[in-house]
Amino acid sequence: MTQKKLCRSTDWRRTIKNVYIYVVLVLIVVIFSVVKLDQVKLFGRGHFLSPDSITNLLRMAVPIMTVSGGFTLLMISEYIDLSVGSAMSLSAVVFSWLVLNGFSFIPAFLMTMVMGVLLGAINGFLVMKLRITPVIATLVTLNLYKGAALLIVPDGISGIKSTDIQQMPSWISDYARQKVLFGLPASFVVALVVIAILVVLQRKTLIGKYSAAIGGNRTAAELSGINVVKMVWLLYIIVGILAAMAGIARASYMSLGDPLSGDGMETDCIIAVLLGGTAFTGGEGSVAKTIIGALIIMCMTTGLMTVIDPYYQTFAKSVVLILAVTLNHLLVRQKVSA
Amino acid sequence: MMNGNSIQKTTRKGKMSNESFITLFMFVVLVALFCIACLFVPNFYMGQNILNLVTNYWYVIIIGIGVTFLLTTGNFDMSVGGVIAMTGVLSVYFCQSTDGSQPLAVGLGLPYGIAVVLALLCALCIGAINAFFIAKLRVASIIITLGTMSFARGIGQIVTLGAQRNTSLPEAYGVIGNAAIPGTSVKLSVLIMVLIVIIAVVIEKKTVFGRRTYLIGANSEAARLSGVKVTKHLTLLYLASALLAGVTGLLLASEYKAGISGRATGYEFDALVITLLGGTSISGGFGSVLGTVVGALILSVVTSSATGLLLSPDWQFTIKGVVTFLAILAQRFALDRRKG
Amino acid sequence: MMSENVLEIKNLVKDYPGVRAVNDVSFEIKRNTVHCLVGENGAGKSTLIKILTGAVQRTQGVVILNGQEYCANNPKEAKQKGISTLFQELNVVDQLTVEENLTLGMEDTSFGFLKKTSKIKKIIDVLASLEPSINPRQYVSTLSVAKKQIVEIAKAVASDAEIIIMDEPTAAISEGEIKRLFQIIRGLREKNVTVIYISHRLDEIFTLGDYVTVMRDGCHIETKKVSDVADRSELIKMMIGKTIFEAYTPPETPAVETILEVKNLNNHKLKDISFSVKKGEIVGFYGLVGAGKTELARAIYGLDPYEGDILYKNEMLNPSPSDAIAAGIALVPEERRSQGLFTVLTIRGNVPVMNMKKISNKGFINKAKETHATLEYIDKLNIATSGIEKEVSKLSGGNQQKVVFSKCLFADADLLMLDEPTRGIDVGAKSEIYNIIRQLSKEGKSIMIFSSELPEIINMCDSIYLLYDGEVKASLCNSCDINSEMIIHIVTGGE
Repeated sequence: MTQKKLCRSTDWRRTIKNVYIYVVLVLIVVIFSVVKLDQVKLFGRGHFLSPDSITNLLRMAVPIMTVSGGFTLLMISEYIDLSVGSAMSLSAVVFSWLVLNGFSFIPAFLMTMVMGVLLGAINGFLVMKLRITPVIATLVTLNLYKGAALLIVPDGISGIKSTDIQQMPSWISDYARQKVLFGLPASFVVALVVIAILVVLQRKTLIGKYSAAIGGNRTAAELSGINVVKMVWLLYIIVGILAAMAGIARASYMSLGDPLSGDGMETDCIIAVLLGGTAFTGGEGSVAKTIIGALIIMCMTTGLMTVIDPYYQTFAKSVVLILAVTLNHLLVRQKVSA
Repeated sequence: MMNGNSIQKTTRKGKMSNESFITLFMFVVLVALFCIACLFVPNFYMGQNILNLVTNYWYVIIIGIGVTFLLTTGNFDMSVGGVIAMTGVLSVYFCQSTDGSQPLAVGLGLPYGIAVVLALLCALCIGAINAFFIAKLRVASIIITLGTMSFARGIGQIVTLGAQRNTSLPEAYGVIGNAAIPGTSVKLSVLIMVLIVIIAVVIEKKTVFGRRTYLIGANSEAARLSGVKVTKHLTLLYLASALLAGVTGLLLASEYKAGISGRATGYEFDALVITLLGGTSISGGFGSVLGTVVGALILSVVTSSATGLLLSPDWQFTIKGVVTFLAILAQRFALDRRKG
Repeated sequence: MMSENVLEIKNLVKDYPGVRAVNDVSFEIKRNTVHCLVGENGAGKSTLIKILTGAVQRTQGVVILNGQEYCANNPKEAKQKGISTLFQELNVVDQLTVEENLTLGMEDTSFGFLKKTSKIKKIIDVLASLEPSINPRQYVSTLSVAKKQIVEIAKAVASDAEIIIMDEPTAAISEGEIKRLFQIIRGLREKNVTVIYISHRLDEIFTLGDYVTVMRDGCHIETKKVSDVADRSELIKMMIGKTIFEAYTPPETPAVETILEVKNLNNHKLKDISFSVKKGEIVGFYGLVGAGKTELARAIYGLDPYEGDILYKNEMLNPSPSDAIAAGIALVPEERRSQGLFTVLTIRGNVPVMNMKKISNKGFINKAKETHATLEYIDKLNIATSGIEKEVSKLSGGNQQKVVFSKCLFADADLLMLDEPTRGIDVGAKSEIYNIIRQLSKEGKSIMIFSSELPEIINMCDSIYLLYDGEVKASLCNSCDINSEMIIHIVTGGE
């Protein structure tokens, strides 16, 4: 009798777990659509769901959409990378620097991506080879990468941009702004492709399976012959590459390389991952759901901008984080650590 | 089997504990760095400069103490920077006079003493939130304290509309932050820091509470089985950390006679850096307040040298990252050599 | 040419400092059989298994697997060489599906993409042939312990294991599940797998085994066909041999006052347990793996939830370790390194931990008192060390255990619960600990010993409770004639 009761309550729980995130997304969209209806027309100019603002939202969502999927895989294997924001800033700076100094788009893009590999590899090295606690190791690299970005930018100016001597070519903003598909830019399409690849990686390749195994039961994973060091190192490199892509998109969007442009990205990723139902003790999580979580954050950020003054943003985001932590705690079954 | 007479109260050769060894090691590093700096940085050895080195980071040391105790138990507290800002802002807001036209010049008009106490209570609330999630719900401390960091800072931003509050303050407001030892430039804040450090060292080394902190860090399961009330202890640590941050916030706000929402950005990382520089380890019940102080001095020497060498402030981040990294490696190396 | 023996153990020796855990053991295991390994605690069978699984290295002797010398440095190597093990801590990943678990580490891929090749299908078919009711697509987290075990067995079979070692697999599963497990194990013989089955539930040996090896005191006693073993008592006799138990001496003044009373204690493991402990009494709880000894200690100590009444000194206990300690109960835990001690700290750092009040004044530690107390216990318990500043990690097992004892004694406990107090300790230290226990009892302290070593229980305890599968099966007083055969019969599931 008790057995049956248990089954039913776990089924309930499971359904809520799978569904709540879509509910939240819909709720948020509805709230923001409704809130200013007295002032603007539904779907009209200035409304939350107007084509312009949707386009805007999606364009601004490109960085987090690019990064949070890879971040999810890393968290599933029970590791973390707090340096994603700085890696993104550094990439933005480097990319703009390359463009400013005459490189065309593809070479600059590729070179920045290579740097992303390097940044991720360094993280992997510190965590897996030197066996420094991931939080501390990536806080260290957070500062290193941020410092590097700040140092590349000459003193006195806010970022890598047009100066008296050099001109930033105007095509730099094409990647993140020029309409390519349904009014959305190439960077968005790339983000979609990245997400698709990551979803496939998670569901259909060793990467997804092994990260869940490593996070779920590391001993079992090792006993089965999985090379944990190589696998997690790879995940860190993937996150590094994605951070680089996000940085490129941001630099293109702003037409300059801002060394502070990635600040807070790690917090956003954490919120997205929490909302998406990833367990912090590893083993469980979904790239697709994290992306929904990322969309929720973007809706909140852009939606709030129209409703409340900017100085409420930090507070609002922190409340979302705390709520996400609570939700995650209630719904996601955390492993009991041995 | 040897016994009785041949048992020594301390071990042979005055062998010191691992903590003392690391603290000593980092102190030697400090002295070495100082000497190197004297060689390359103009006027580094001047008395006033040395004084500054010691007093520069008083605020990071105070919050570093809370972070040290918590890291010893294996937990982070990244909310301290936000709490500093929030407490400063709230303390101003609470005692700003009630009449005025500008929204940023109007407050709750409470007496100064009450405003201060109330602001500290708010700081404690943040500590309570941390304690609830971390000690009770066992959520990862890094995650939730990143959240409460923004939460506290966000409150500061809301109350100051994103800027600061610095008008219509009672006379008493600027007193403690700007008081100094007569004849010197040593501020009261520095004295307070020294006092807190002394208290913290005493607690760490000589009290049951300090001992229990180490026990939890060394083996929380054994601690629990030995009767240590782990949840209660962690709660107290988070409350204490918030309180220290609150006090720092009050002192800073008093010094500048302003509650600035952007204050103390990055201080939480500095606190962690000096703790790590001081040898505190996240995984071993290993921690030292004195070490943290030494760590603060090391950071001070390094950053002052950078300034003295006319490096731009942008170098700070790289320097902190590199220094922390080297310290972790060096400490690990030194400990391994000692054991092996 | 395949020899008859899949495994040959020749003159195997394993020495630890001060003790020879495996003493010149030699026997053979025939291919495609279920070979049972029995023996009391400390008989050496766990060490033998650890050598086979690569967890420890042998001191001397040879192991021959399929005609070739076998040596494994770690469990992963052992698995690769054909010896898989089913441990009590299941090695499945709950968050993956059954199919994913089965194929973990053995996937076929093209460019990293998982392919469902015929090899994969074969692996899944192995499970189907063993237990068709398990759906490969379901998540392992939804499976019962018994089914998870079957998945692990299937995985071992699929990875071409020659030998599967099963260590007390029936401890956590129901009777019906045991029947099913046995069907599967029998079926393994046709799949070219040999099973080494370790269990103290002697009935299982007779139901399942083809051969049985009995070990005692690190030595090999006999290896026989199960069909040649007359009955349980023959096995039991082999297990306990002619061990003369040290004579038990009853206390001078019999205990009178009841100090602890447990009524109808029930929880996830314990079933309706009731007993009482008198002041100055030494009460023993004897049972083998899975009997519920540790669970009982934990419940009384306030670590696990329970239903029922626990009255200590006529008052209800608050369920928490700190309250238990304050009331006067102290626990010497089963795992001294991970639960009983702070291995990175020194002796001085460990001893006063459970009663800081005694060495402190208003919260401030009095170093003199601390030093004095530590020296006092080093002396009292004869802890061999050069000083109080020695890290406990550097002490021998016996001395470490003495430090744990010191902790509990320092807490001024009136009731001491000892969970496997002499496990992994050399003979000399063991006898010292027994003396300590007897002395404490003379001083009026009550002791509860939870142990799986029969000589210890018979040697020390005034009253003995026999545990099996979470229940108290019998209780005896020690001054009556002790029939150790009957005792073993009960704790191995007999009625």
